Amino acid sequence: MRQRVNALVHRVGASLMLRSAGQARLAWVVGITGPLLVAAALAPFRPSIGLAGFLFGTLLFVVAAAVMGGLRPALVGAAIAIPPGVYYFAPPYDNLAIEREGDLFVFIGFIVVAAVLGILVDQLVGLARQQAALRRVATLVAHAATADELFAAVTEEVARQLPVGFARMGRYESDDSITFVAAWGSPEDGFPVGSNLMLDGDSVRGQVFRTGRPARIDNYDQISGPLGQTARELGMRSSVGVPIIVDDRVWGVMAVSSTTMPKYPADTEERLAAFMDLLSAAIANAESRAELAASRSRIVAAADETRRRIERDLHDGTQQRLVSLAIELRMAESRVPSELPEARAMFFRAAKDLTDAVADLQEISRGIHPAILSKGGLTPAIKTLARRSAVAVELDVEVERRLPQQVEVAAYYVVSEALTNVAKYAHASLVNIDVHASESAIELTIRDDGIGGADPTRGSGLVGLKDRVEALGGTITVAGGSGQGTSVVARIPIDRKSGIDAERRQAIVR
Amino acid sequence: MLADDDVLLREGLASLLEGSGFDVVGQAGDGVELLALVRSTRPDVAIVDIRMPPGHATEGLDAARVIRQELPDTAIVVLSAHVEVDEAMDLLAGGERLGYLLKTRVTDVAEFIRTVERIVAGAAVVDPALVRELVSARRRRDPLDVLSPREREVLGLMAEGASNSGIAGRIFVSEGTVEKHVRSILGKLDLPESETDHRRVLAVLKYLEAR
Repeated sequence: MRQRVNALVHRVGASLMLRSAGQARLAWVVGITGPLLVAAALAPFRPSIGLAGFLFGTLLFVVAAAVMGGLRPALVGAAIAIPPGVYYFAPPYDNLAIEREGDLFVFIGFIVVAAVLGILVDQLVGLARQQAALRRVATLVAHAATADELFAAVTEEVARQLPVGFARMGRYESDDSITFVAAWGSPEDGFPVGSNLMLDGDSVRGQVFRTGRPARIDNYDQISGPLGQTARELGMRSSVGVPIIVDDRVWGVMAVSSTTMPKYPADTEERLAAFMDLLSAAIANAESRAELAASRSRIVAAADETRRRIERDLHDGTQQRLVSLAIELRMAESRVPSELPEARAMFFRAAKDLTDAVADLQEISRGIHPAILSKGGLTPAIKTLARRSAVAVELDVEVERRLPQQVEVAAYYVVSEALTNVAKYAHASLVNIDVHASESAIELTIRDDGIGGADPTRGSGLVGLKDRVEALGGTITVAGGSGQGTSVVARIPIDRKSGIDAERRQAIVR
Repeated sequence: MLADDDVLLREGLASLLEGSGFDVVGQAGDGVELLALVRSTRPDVAIVDIRMPPGHATEGLDAARVIRQELPDTAIVVLSAHVEVDEAMDLLAGGERLGYLLKTRVTDVAEFIRTVERIVAGAAVVDPALVRELVSARRRRDPLDVLSPREREVLGLMAEGASNSGIAGRIFVSEGTVEKHVRSILGKLDLPESETDHRRVLAVLKYLEAR
């Protein structure tokens, strides 16, 4: 019984803390003044209205107080209605005596109804708020907010749902430690975002980590380990933590703590868990997206590496040997006695054919991987492309520095593929190429004055390009209706942290 | 002096040069070895592969720069598998007696020997393939449009590093006619007159590259 009363008291406390301070004050004003106003307004009509009519009128204010402030102002409002009820509306009028025995039961019934209404309304409001909060979180998840935005938002929503001074979301690491990823409430220096602590001891977060189940602490006196120690120093009295389960593993923990409440309401775990399901889904989603993006990026990088190696093998190996061979043929040619002009001519032809073959090989190896890109960077590489273009090119390249290799290669192929397409399909007389690199991204525009009507799905070139650019977290669009020329616009992020979205997500989600 | 990490090619080139009256005083496999040998043997000309160990990037170019600084009288021929404008201009900024050639140019033995001899004699030479690429690059309002076809041809030869008499020999006209063409080209393109050949090459290359 005592426990239940305690729970009820805490529930009242909880419902109070759920609402803003202003709203709670208004609830008290409505609860206290409402019944008095009703009494004053209805007193002249008391013979026709009767006690029941008066009490019914006050119930409206009791419910209003419950909506705004929970059970307590509702009950106080109901209690305040009793003296004027006895004095004005229960015969004999204008004194504090009760004549009819039935009126006593009416009052008792009134208090019970007020209490029940107060509890129901309070729960309903709580539920509605939780649903609204869940909907906000779900919307965030659906709009693919970044991981840290989502974590911060969920932590705040959780905190607003519970009598919480303090809510922290943490991610478990492989070395049995926890890294805090989102924080709400003061003291702000308690477990700040980014801090990392070992999970030794029987703190709430340690228990959740070991059992994969919700855990609570109502007394910090005996709690060991760095987390418990810190909690004690922060003056925590009670805490509840629930696991965040992603793909059947305990990914992290959401824990709430209070410096004032001796014990959290019994349904706290359940209310927290409702949010964690959404969070788990969002994390699992982000993880698979990050893995996909990372693997895409790895595939492109591996392919590039292979091409670079092939180009190098061709250049340093095959090509060199063919050139040596050509020289040997020349030497042999020079040693053929002049009496054998036919043999001489054969050597000459063989050497010449070989030299042509080497030139062909150079052309091929340039297509496999442009050596100038690794050596000189994007600007000379794009200039070379422009010089070799079959269609006249107006060039505006502003890339002063060397960019990450993958970005340079992707940008190079955007220009190269676009120029190839212009030459093949556009019937253009001029191509404008703009390449500008800012701190965070490189932007490329290749626009021609040809017949337009390009089909972005045509050919594997553009599709491969899209894959390559998107693997780096970039975008590429091909636009241009019939007769308007074609423009290819690509944007590739440079900064590795914000740029390669995949890796960033990975870093947060890991 | 020969520097190339491919022994076969190096040896082949050496015997070619030996056969053409050159005295090969040393062979090196990388930039460090090359510099040591150049310092000790003081050759008239160093023929250097641009791509050598350890990085297989532009070690030959770097070595050429050092040689130019320490022993400015040494002629240098840089060989590259694929010629790039930036590399050529980088090298030619070092002054005269410099050449930047495609490796395959070596297989035309007689022409290659003549080119090396020209470089030793003071010329600055750029591979014709590179010049061809520069001259044939298409532009919307091409400033080269003001040139006659003959003038374009002369401009290309200027870019390759041919002297006026060299150009005269190549296109079968008198040196006086070439001089007239050159003056006309410089005037039309607003290029400065240069006293030395390598400056002229550099100016023409720069112009072609930037146009």
